[in-house]
Amino acid sequence: MKAHKTVGFMLCTVLAASACGSGSGSDRAEIRFIWWGNDDRAKVTNEAVRLFESRNPDVKVSTSFQNFQNYFEKLSTEIAGGNAPDVIQMDYRYLNEYAGRNVLLDLTPYVGKQIRTADWNQGFVGSGKLNGKQVALPLAQNATTIVYDPKLFAAAGVAEPKIGWTWADYREIAGKIQASTGGKIAGSTDFGGTEDVFETWLRQRGKALYDNGKLGYTKDDLKAFWQLSKDFRDAGATTPAELVTTLNAGAEQTPLGKKLSASEHSYDSLYSGYNAVRPDELKLGPYPSDNKETLGSYRKPSQLISASARTKNKYAAVKLIDFLLNDPDAGKILGANRGLPANLKIREAVAQNLSGANKVVFEYEKSVDAKLGDAPAAPPKGDGAIYKLMQRKHEEVVFGKKTIDQALDEFWRDAEEALK
Amino acid sequence: MPYLFLGPWLLGAIGLTVAPMVVSLYLSFTDYDLFNEPKWVGLDNYARLFGDDPRYLHSVGVTLRYVAWSVPLKLVLALAVALLLNSLRGKGQAFFRSAFYAPSLLGASVGLALAWRAIFDTWVDTPDHALVTIVLLAAWQFGAPMVIFLAGLQQIPRDLLDAAAVDGAGWWRRLWSITLPMLSPVLFFNVVLETIHAFQAFTQAFVVSGGRGGPADSTLFYTLYLYERGFTEFRMGYASAMAWVLLVAIALITAVLFRTSRYWVFYGDGR
Repeated sequence: MKAHKTVGFMLCTVLAASACGSGSGSDRAEIRFIWWGNDDRAKVTNEAVRLFESRNPDVKVSTSFQNFQNYFEKLSTEIAGGNAPDVIQMDYRYLNEYAGRNVLLDLTPYVGKQIRTADWNQGFVGSGKLNGKQVALPLAQNATTIVYDPKLFAAAGVAEPKIGWTWADYREIAGKIQASTGGKIAGSTDFGGTEDVFETWLRQRGKALYDNGKLGYTKDDLKAFWQLSKDFRDAGATTPAELVTTLNAGAEQTPLGKKLSASEHSYDSLYSGYNAVRPDELKLGPYPSDNKETLGSYRKPSQLISASARTKNKYAAVKLIDFLLNDPDAGKILGANRGLPANLKIREAVAQNLSGANKVVFEYEKSVDAKLGDAPAAPPKGDGAIYKLMQRKHEEVVFGKKTIDQALDEFWRDAEEALK
Repeated sequence: MPYLFLGPWLLGAIGLTVAPMVVSLYLSFTDYDLFNEPKWVGLDNYARLFGDDPRYLHSVGVTLRYVAWSVPLKLVLALAVALLLNSLRGKGQAFFRSAFYAPSLLGASVGLALAWRAIFDTWVDTPDHALVTIVLLAAWQFGAPMVIFLAGLQQIPRDLLDAAAVDGAGWWRRLWSITLPMLSPVLFFNVVLETIHAFQAFTQAFVVSGGRGGPADSTLFYTLYLYERGFTEFRMGYASAMAWVLLVAIALITAVLFRTSRYWVFYGDGR
């Protein structure tokens, strides 16, 4: 009995001592920064963070990253567990989801001061604002695009995408490509389930995804869009049904990445991903549009950066945000990895010295810039669910489980539910 | 003093199991978005589950179909392989036992599910076949029940089987009249365990469908839908209600299995 007590006492002492040992020893502020992306992005981001640390010896930054699919699930769990990261890479689609729940720090008092925006397009600064509060700042700009394989276009003897081409042109061209490969390679990737494509198409018709938190389009609009996608299928100009589910995966898993399609709707900021699986084989072109005035594409914040409302080191978090956005050396390291840098001076500097994927992205943005619109307000809470809903309902149509009208009714009911 | 030694386990059981369960029961009566204070809504979540959520009922259907296919298939495979190994006494039995068990060791691993996804590429992407691939993946991991069956088979007294053989009973007859009855407690154990596991299946479906339960919701398992509601739509109260319905359903099904066991499980002690 006595021996047990002694051992127990010793154990307790050891535990207590080690608990003390891990206590704070320095005055360095510690912050945590997380983002989504791939190894490529991790390399440049970590390099920039190390430079920040060497310039600010009083701040220690720990970093981690996820792929996009799991990122927001991990983030929400961490925040709910009271373990929120201090600096958070944000997506336009989720801005309201998080800011609307008071999770993000209001950066308004710092903008124009600790966070410099003098060299920015002020409209672009505004894309990080919700209800007058600056809850995020855009990290970089991207736009929707058609990624395509020029060799297949040439082999079929059809013209490459250029401003002024229409959806009917696209269907015809894609059909010819598909026929020229004997049906082995589709002319286009089925786009009917992708909300980003639907948004661009809507904007060409003068509408928007959302209008004051409500759906900004009618059932007839979506019906026409799904009909358009069906026309492509009927014309033998797009991918077969079993490839429809691969669209939300990384570039290496999309039909274009797997050489099963000749062209695909995407974002220019994803080009480096495509380029990694099909080096120097693909090009970027403008969306087809039936509207002479606009392409429907807009200057979208490809990613944004926010701070947690519960951070204990506001000062250090704000400093890191400013550094990543505005420091010329950080800009040089980060390049166009996340799209065109938001700070125009840095964008110019990066443009001076372009190569590889960065060059393709910059040239594409330059070629369409005159036709790009400003970003609409961030989508409301529930858009994340609607995004998946559209994919799902379109799949049911493609696989012949539902007619367009049935899918439309169900979509409408669930979408309105998601926005409540 | 005994409580001191029980302490670590007790703390774990209360802190990591009982307390979270109580909290989730409370949350199931609230509207909780993970970040802000839960709001009490009474039975709303439960009412919506059954009255106003066709996707929920669909996920129940998918899960029931999965359980109904994967459990019998897996157990038949496990039993067949166990019988085969049992007849191998001494002749490399240990090696084959390990070899057949290997897939189950890798069972919950993400890598394996990814490989499966790659192998059944187009099947996984068609609604009519996607669930079949996941059932096959589950059935292939029959190692755990197989090892338990094998242990059970080795407990059956040889003289019973020998006596029957002498009396002219063939292989099928011995299987049906001696092996299966003698094995029934083990079979019962495996049925209960595998049924519970099947209801909770998550990893394979999550990985194979890329986390979406697709294509066209054909692999929307109960747990997958729960996860989506809770962690991507921030409806944690609703997800908690789903978890409790699942818990109660599994408890009921297990109770029914126990009830029926008196008719087909033979314990050899005259009960």
